[in-house]
Amino acid sequence: MTTRPALLLRALAGLIVLVLLWSLFAGLPRDLFGQGWRQAEATRQWSFPRDHGSHPEYRTEWWYFTGNLADSEGKRYGYQLTFFRYGLALEAQDPSSSWSVRDVYLAHFAITDASRGGFHWRDRASRKGPGLAGAATGTMDIHVLNWSARMKDDGRITLKAAQDGMELDLNLTPAKPPVLHGRQGLSRKGPRPGQASHYYSFTDLTARGTLRVPGMKDPVAVKGTSWFDQEFGSNQLSQEQAGWDWFALHLSDGRDLMIYYLRRKDGTFERESSGTLVERDGTSRHLALGDIETEVLSHWKSAKTAGRYPAAWRIRVPAAAIDVTVRPLVADQELVTTASTGITYWEGAVDGRGTSGEKEVSAEGYVELTGYAGSLGGKF
Amino acid sequence: MSMTSTIIRTHDLWKQYETEGHDGMALRGVDLDIGKGQIVVLFGKSGSGKTTLLNLLAGLDEPTRGRIEIDNGDLGTLGEKGRTLLRRHKLGFVFQFFNLLPTLTAEENVLLSLELAGRPDEGLARESLELVGLAGKERRFPHELSGGEQQRVAIARALVKRPPIILADEPTGNLDSATGAQILALLTGRCREAGTTLIMVSHALNTCEYADRVLRMTDGRIFEEISCEGLAP
Amino acid sequence: MRSVIRSFLRYLARRKSLSILQLLGIALGVAAAVGMMLASRSALESLGSAVDFLKGGTTHTIARPAGPMEETVLAGIMRDPAVRYFAPVIDRKVRLTGGQQIRMLGLDPFLDRNVRSITARIGASAGDGRTGEAFSSFLFDPGAVLVDENMARGLNLSAGSAIATLQGPLNVVHVFSNPSGEPLMIIDVGHAQKFFRMRGYVDRADLVVTDEEAFRQRWATGFTIESNTQKARNLSALLGAFKLNLEALSLFALFVGIFLIYNTAMFAVVSRRRDAGIFLAIGASRGQVAGAFLVEVLILGVAGGALGGVLGYFLSKFLVEIVGGTISTLYFFLRPSALPWSSWNLAGGVFLGSAASIVGSLPPLLELRRVRPVHVLRGRTATRGTSKRMRTIALFGTACLALALVLFGLSFLHAYVGFAGAFAFLLGASFFAGFVIIVATPGMKRLFSRVMGLAGRIAIGNIRENLGRTSVAVAAFMIALSMSIGLGSMIDSFRRSLVWWMDSQLRGDLYISTKADVNVPEELYEELKTVPGIGGIDVFRNVPITFRGRPASITSIDASVLERYDRFGWLEGGDGSWERVKRGDVIVSESFSRRFKVGTGSRITIETARGPAELLVAGVYYDYASEHGVVMMDRSVYLRLFRDRTINSLGIFIDEGNQDRAKIIEEVKRRARSFGLPFATREEFHGRILDIFDSTFAVTRSMRVLAVIVAFFGIAGALMTLFVERQKEFGVYRALGFTTGDVARMTVAESLGLGLISFLMSAVVGTVFALILIKVINLQSFNWTIFYHFTARPYVVTGLTALAASLAACAYPVWSVVRKYPVMQIREE
Repeated sequence: MTTRPALLLRALAGLIVLVLLWSLFAGLPRDLFGQGWRQAEATRQWSFPRDHGSHPEYRTEWWYFTGNLADSEGKRYGYQLTFFRYGLALEAQDPSSSWSVRDVYLAHFAITDASRGGFHWRDRASRKGPGLAGAATGTMDIHVLNWSARMKDDGRITLKAAQDGMELDLNLTPAKPPVLHGRQGLSRKGPRPGQASHYYSFTDLTARGTLRVPGMKDPVAVKGTSWFDQEFGSNQLSQEQAGWDWFALHLSDGRDLMIYYLRRKDGTFERESSGTLVERDGTSRHLALGDIETEVLSHWKSAKTAGRYPAAWRIRVPAAAIDVTVRPLVADQELVTTASTGITYWEGAVDGRGTSGEKEVSAEGYVELTGYAGSLGGKF
Repeated sequence: MSMTSTIIRTHDLWKQYETEGHDGMALRGVDLDIGKGQIVVLFGKSGSGKTTLLNLLAGLDEPTRGRIEIDNGDLGTLGEKGRTLLRRHKLGFVFQFFNLLPTLTAEENVLLSLELAGRPDEGLARESLELVGLAGKERRFPHELSGGEQQRVAIARALVKRPPIILADEPTGNLDSATGAQILALLTGRCREAGTTLIMVSHALNTCEYADRVLRMTDGRIFEEISCEGLAP
Repeated sequence: MRSVIRSFLRYLARRKSLSILQLLGIALGVAAAVGMMLASRSALESLGSAVDFLKGGTTHTIARPAGPMEETVLAGIMRDPAVRYFAPVIDRKVRLTGGQQIRMLGLDPFLDRNVRSITARIGASAGDGRTGEAFSSFLFDPGAVLVDENMARGLNLSAGSAIATLQGPLNVVHVFSNPSGEPLMIIDVGHAQKFFRMRGYVDRADLVVTDEEAFRQRWATGFTIESNTQKARNLSALLGAFKLNLEALSLFALFVGIFLIYNTAMFAVVSRRRDAGIFLAIGASRGQVAGAFLVEVLILGVAGGALGGVLGYFLSKFLVEIVGGTISTLYFFLRPSALPWSSWNLAGGVFLGSAASIVGSLPPLLELRRVRPVHVLRGRTATRGTSKRMRTIALFGTACLALALVLFGLSFLHAYVGFAGAFAFLLGASFFAGFVIIVATPGMKRLFSRVMGLAGRIAIGNIRENLGRTSVAVAAFMIALSMSIGLGSMIDSFRRSLVWWMDSQLRGDLYISTKADVNVPEELYEELKTVPGIGGIDVFRNVPITFRGRPASITSIDASVLERYDRFGWLEGGDGSWERVKRGDVIVSESFSRRFKVGTGSRITIETARGPAELLVAGVYYDYASEHGVVMMDRSVYLRLFRDRTINSLGIFIDEGNQDRAKIIEEVKRRARSFGLPFATREEFHGRILDIFDSTFAVTRSMRVLAVIVAFFGIAGALMTLFVERQKEFGVYRALGFTTGDVARMTVAESLGLGLISFLMSAVVGTVFALILIKVINLQSFNWTIFYHFTARPYVVTGLTALAASLAACAYPVWSVVRKYPVMQIREE
């Protein structure tokens, strides 16, 4: 896929991710200088648009955009654009130098080209430097080099990203207000205190814009639906956890479903795994582990990494009369960062059908599967 | 004059001096007629042109004027290659200063002659040395042989290829009289046996004994003599 | 033909010492050429690989035309659609307290990994916690550096070591592998800004550009954009003249080697005359005889060539160090590694040896055609040498000299033409060796008679008698000595010119921070302006640029200060030009003027931070700072055009009559010290420049030595041959009543005679050669004028060399005489 230097070149990014995730999951509540990051321990007061911005007192934060799009001919696409902020120090050592490191900003960008069966992805990292990357506080304005996500005064979000023949230029308009997950936005990841994050989503955004994949001469106009997650915390994955499965689905009757399974190494799910159901009118309710039944219908084995991923699911939420079956649009939507770190995950566009409240519905969305090609918990 | 056929003939041969300090002619109209099998001695003071004549006969030099015929072949019409072949097959040379190649053994020196003639034959070379009385000394280098022995090797070298003509330049000039006499006897004896024409340039009076004809060279001209009497050594 | 060949080859075996001597001579000639060529090639390959290694995947670089680039430019580059990847780079030299200068790159590992494998590979050894620690030290510790394995090995460093530098201490956190030879340190770009006091700036950005044209269109104004091919070409161009001269030196060495083979072949022909006569007489053809000679010469040539190939390889290792050192001192860092042994060296040596054999033995083989068995067989082995012959040779010589003159006239076409002319000159001069011997003989006879009696007179007579051989030996020796004198004279003249130039242009009483890459902060300049008693402070800045596609540089100075205190040497214009410089015009160096054909009144266009600017040339001055040419302008103009306030060094001038001179200098020194800046007095500064100059000619000096050694073998060979052949005469000498001592003295006298004649001839030829080097070669290669200045030293040194070589050459023959003479007799043969 890439030339040899390019493969080599990914090594350092891998190292960075390694270092960051090592700290993230192996759990240093302290930064490199022994100072304390704020933990996600109690519920907080949310205020928008301020909380669309960055929360630098927490170590880790990300802005996660995924979406399903189609062009005028009906060709289907999926995209993922993620911005991470990872704090290395609570304060920059040398504030007078623009290069002094406080946070590291990472970004992933992927496009699924369903009609051609293609999957393209790129990643990058940078420090803030002289205007190279950054996340503003008080409003959503993040960029890593020339990939950016910005919220305008009217609440619309512009996404821009381009690299090596991949291009994305979208305007997103929220169709529902922000949804807080867990308890008042405090989403638990494990039994111990601090094993949590603050997490909310725009579960339903109307997307419109242009997109290009390598091989296309010109960008093509697309529209569809998107999902946005913002999560921040200083939490940790315990040693016993292997990874997680995350689902974000739009149902054609206007409902949105988010499910978050944390998998333990022994094969069971973490008790704190949970989900959120959002109704057409924007109201939401928390789903506990027991409220959801998920059946894996088939698997897909990656030739590259030998990871065996679930590849079709039947998801039921009896209490909400939801029964849908979804499948990936393209089998291989695996992101292999590098061989050296083994951080490999599957993030892809899915669709399917089922019933919701007795009516036939179609479903589309994104699924993220981590820890199937080498467990994350065991690595560290 | 013997009744045999002519093997060497020159006609009005002239040669200009080429070295510094000499003007005029080394040879002035030399006419020669030498028959097959004859043994001829050429007397003359040093500088009288004897060596010049030998060199011309051997094709090593070219006359200023005149014609030379060797075995019915006009030397003037032969090119350098032709003359080279002449020296290979038809002429044998014996020099005053032995002129053996110092880095070759006696045997190799003799063999050289045969190699050039195109019939290398080590047995023949050894036999040739035997015939001149040097059996057992084939592997000696020239500096390991006495003066007389060296001259014998030279004679063997000249004889081994059975040339019709042998030219000898002062063959005994460097030897004591006893050895010289031996050499003369050997050389002339072999030539008579083989019917080889021999032309000797010499100072030594005793050479006349072995010769059929005596020629005297003075100031570039040739005069026929009856005997060596009255000839200055 | 076998016997002919056998007969000749046995001579080789018999005269072992002579054969070995000849073999060695050829071997050394070939070794010199091979060694030089290998050293040259490895330097260039190292250059290529160093450039490749550092450039990684970048396609272009962008920088301001002069001075550093504001970091705010990066955000703009980031947004340009034609840029695939970009990475900021700070590229400076760090001076260690040990005096060594090491290159340090300030990089951003996040961005740099996309363009360069060095940074990528550093992360590749992930998986252990230690690398993670190293990485965080790198980002957070302002003194953290990565060092490459060469530097680590050289200075005995490992992770955790500390390095002391003039700009502050550094800590090694990691050692990385580096295929190019250059010692390298890597530091985070932010820390580099602090270390080099350049906050807010970077030196350049390395780019991967996908649409060059579009990018250039958007960015060309005010920036210099260079593609990698341009860069490689520039680096190569920087070395242009240097490379050329290296090539010339190796060709000279080969030339002397060929001469030696000519020598050898000539001896062979001449000493085998008699044998040739015999062969011809008994019926061998000239072709066969010539073939046998050729075989003999070829055997020596091939064997000598093979040996030379091996020796040359070892020599190249030595030379590579010197070449690398010189390039590093003068141009940019390069530490070429010697090429690994390859059997091509052997093959090349054999080829050179054989080719040289054939070329060198052509004239002697032609000589063979004239062998007269007639004369030879009568025992005349020596040739007196007819005057007719000498006249023909002299004619050849004159023709060569005429050719040389023509070539000099055309030398402006290309440097190679000048070199060819120099060759033609030496060749032509060598033809006169015989003539010189003939002419010098009477005088030499008288001299040697006086000094060494009868033995001496006979010795000179022998030289004259054996003209065929002695003229060749003298020619070879003379050429080597002439080269020695010529090169020595040229170097001395150059040095003198350099001193004159320094005295005229570098007249400051104190210089602050003349060492490269240590800049002077503007605060010190402002501070010094307040020190009473200073007559003037020259603010010096030199920056490399590309002008009309070739390397050149711009120097910014304070025109009023230089006008007052310096006495520039002017080719065009004069001290009056300073007024115009103050008002915005420029002056250019002689190299610049010749190279680009500009003079007073010309207009030149230079790329500046604000686009192209047209400048008027007000004068042309003599300069040796750079052979690529300098454009000099006043600082006000420089600041206006380039907005670069960097100060490379300061020159402090104090009025002549000032009583407090010493105190003022002390005060300035104190202030410089407080800023941690190095300084040098005028003497020290000039001395340093001269040191650099001296080290530059290290290569030339080595080749000089080599040439003389090679020619020594020529003389030794000649003596040996003469000696070996005349052993018969020794019998006669002994019979006549000469003692061993007499004959030994005779041998020594012959050697000294040859040496003296060679030296006297070389004194003339060498002087002319020096003039050629100065007026033609140097001028064409470097475009500057060197003033010829006579010094006695090259002549004295060369004379002593000639003496020593002559004495050494006769050592073996004398020893042989002493051993064998007492038992020599007259021999028949």
